[in-house]
Amino acid sequence: MNRVLAVSRMQLINKWTFLGIPAIILGGAFALCLAIFTIIPTEPKYGGGAPFAPLWYFFALGIQSLTLTFPFSLGMSVTRRAYFLGTYVTFSAVALGMAVIYAIGTQVELATQGWGMGGYFFRVPFLFDGPWWQSLAVSFIITLFFFTVGFWAATIYKRWGVTGTLVVSIGLALLVVGAIFLITWGGFWGDVLGFFVHISVLGLAGILLLLVAAMGAGAFLTIRRAVP
Amino acid sequence: MNEQTVVQVQGLGRKYKDVIALDDVSLEFRQDRIYGLLGRNGAGKTTLMSILTAQGFPSSGSVRVFGEDPYENEGVLRRICFIRESQKYPDDFTPAQAFRAAALFFAHWDQTFAERLAEDFQLPLKRRIKKLSRGQLSAVGIVIGLASRAELTFFDEPYLGLDAVARHLFYDHLVKDFAEHPRTIVLSSHLIDEVANLLEHIVVIDKGRIIMDDEAEEIRGSAVSVAGPADVVAAFIEGYPVLFEERLLNTVSVSIAGRLNPAQRREAAELGLVLGQVSLQQLVVHASLSAQGAENSLNDAAHIQRGADSKEVTR
Amino acid sequence: MIDDSGPIFLQIAALIENDIVSGALPEESQVPSTNEFAQYYRINPATAAKGVNTLVEEGILYKRRGIGMFVAAGARDKLLGRRREHFTAQFVEPLCLEAGKLGITRAELVAMLTAALDGQVPAEQDTSTQGKART
Repeated sequence: MNRVLAVSRMQLINKWTFLGIPAIILGGAFALCLAIFTIIPTEPKYGGGAPFAPLWYFFALGIQSLTLTFPFSLGMSVTRRAYFLGTYVTFSAVALGMAVIYAIGTQVELATQGWGMGGYFFRVPFLFDGPWWQSLAVSFIITLFFFTVGFWAATIYKRWGVTGTLVVSIGLALLVVGAIFLITWGGFWGDVLGFFVHISVLGLAGILLLLVAAMGAGAFLTIRRAVP
Repeated sequence: MNEQTVVQVQGLGRKYKDVIALDDVSLEFRQDRIYGLLGRNGAGKTTLMSILTAQGFPSSGSVRVFGEDPYENEGVLRRICFIRESQKYPDDFTPAQAFRAAALFFAHWDQTFAERLAEDFQLPLKRRIKKLSRGQLSAVGIVIGLASRAELTFFDEPYLGLDAVARHLFYDHLVKDFAEHPRTIVLSSHLIDEVANLLEHIVVIDKGRIIMDDEAEEIRGSAVSVAGPADVVAAFIEGYPVLFEERLLNTVSVSIAGRLNPAQRREAAELGLVLGQVSLQQLVVHASLSAQGAENSLNDAAHIQRGADSKEVTR
Repeated sequence: MIDDSGPIFLQIAALIENDIVSGALPEESQVPSTNEFAQYYRINPATAAKGVNTLVEEGILYKRRGIGMFVAAGARDKLLGRRREHFTAQFVEPLCLEAGKLGITRAELVAMLTAALDGQVPAEQDTSTQGKART
């Protein structure tokens, strides 16, 4: 457990990587949104894609955690297991931090009626409607999901190179296209959309969490045989 | 001195598709000694060290470090440090941050020593590693390798990009720190003559096979060079295997495998022959060349045999 | 300095012996530690230790526990004695051999030796018995 936490601390040695840059992205998106809100007269107005801005950075961070920090960890004589767990502790901590910020932000926005102008950045409709613990969980899981996709994709690349990544991408694309085709051909769209409405946000988050677990396990199994 | 075995390798093999990187390698490293792992580029030195540190994987054979299999073995790995030539560092890391990371993982890390070394190597501690010169990058590895004080430390050609002054600075620090804090050090190099005097035991790898595994002093003492008039030398060295020969007009200098007793030395002096020692580099080069030669002979023999067979058929 | 002329540990032993003979290392004085030798000559400490231990075995050096290595009493005399024994094989025989090659006669050689001795060793300090012929 000592080594695992040491890995987590190592990931945070450079404060910018996991803390500074996400803060800037978030702050920037937020400031930009507020500025735009003051111009737009209609109410209520929402941030659109802006609140999701840090997520793309986390996706890239997930990739980079593997391509650069993994070889370095091996060089520091860290086991692959300790590296994986320690990195996920850091991912989770940052995801939790973001979730808390969004949760607090949401409450503030609700209390101030959208910063006094009906503008909502943190309170993303549909996703964050509901009890505070729900939006916290949803936000945490979505953030962790983006880290994980990046991390998992990078393990595929590390282990099986460009060819492997292409194969997986094409495979996934085929799966998605195939699913869409089947659903359309069978006329299941009504059922599918109804299912999503039925399980609501929490259910969706649950599915994402399952995907995170699956990709995480896959990533771990992959790096067990990866070389720096 | 404790003669405990630190690394034990039996029949280790590593194969990539059609390339054999390591072939039936068996060796043993004992505690608190400086080992040299010598060989040409691509001989298998890095592959071997990767497998010993569980960064790479064997195809066959067994590896025991501190008595156990190092793969995913935290108890073993935390006592090891592997400084490799192409070590990657997290983006935007400075040497100072790399040292902080090292401090987290190496139990015997000496921060003061690391800072002193960085100063000696003129390493800018606050500059991004990706902006450092090749030599400075190597210096980062050297500092970490030395300051980690890990019980088993591997240096894989750690001096790339370093000029001669910096290299000798490394050797000086290596000897000094090894003397004050004994541990097992494995140093791989192709600059044999530079490191020869630092090594206690030498292992030479060629094309994935071990072709020499002996104490440095034994290897050095196993050959002698005889110089003088060609005919006199030839008569004197009758019966001894010849390793090298250099000729200038009628004077030759021949390196032979063998040890001369005092009587023979006196005889050489009487004959006016000059005796000298054969350098470690020459001995290692010779071993590699003869290994290559043996392989070539086998290939030639096979080739001739095939030619003879086909001639048989076409007749 | 250390070179390719022979096993390194023997070279270390020879360097220490030379210092003892020349007086640079008097009897009962402390010899540098093996670590200091290793650092100075850039050699493996085990090799330096082997050289030092060779001299310990021969009684030239001795170890004081916890302090270090010291030059034994009588070491210089012992070394001088040994060098005397080898003097003939190391210097005299090659001298005669070379003289023979150059065609120098015995009489010429003796004359050369005498002249050299006169030049080097002043009369009062000439302690050799059976006085040499002085011209």
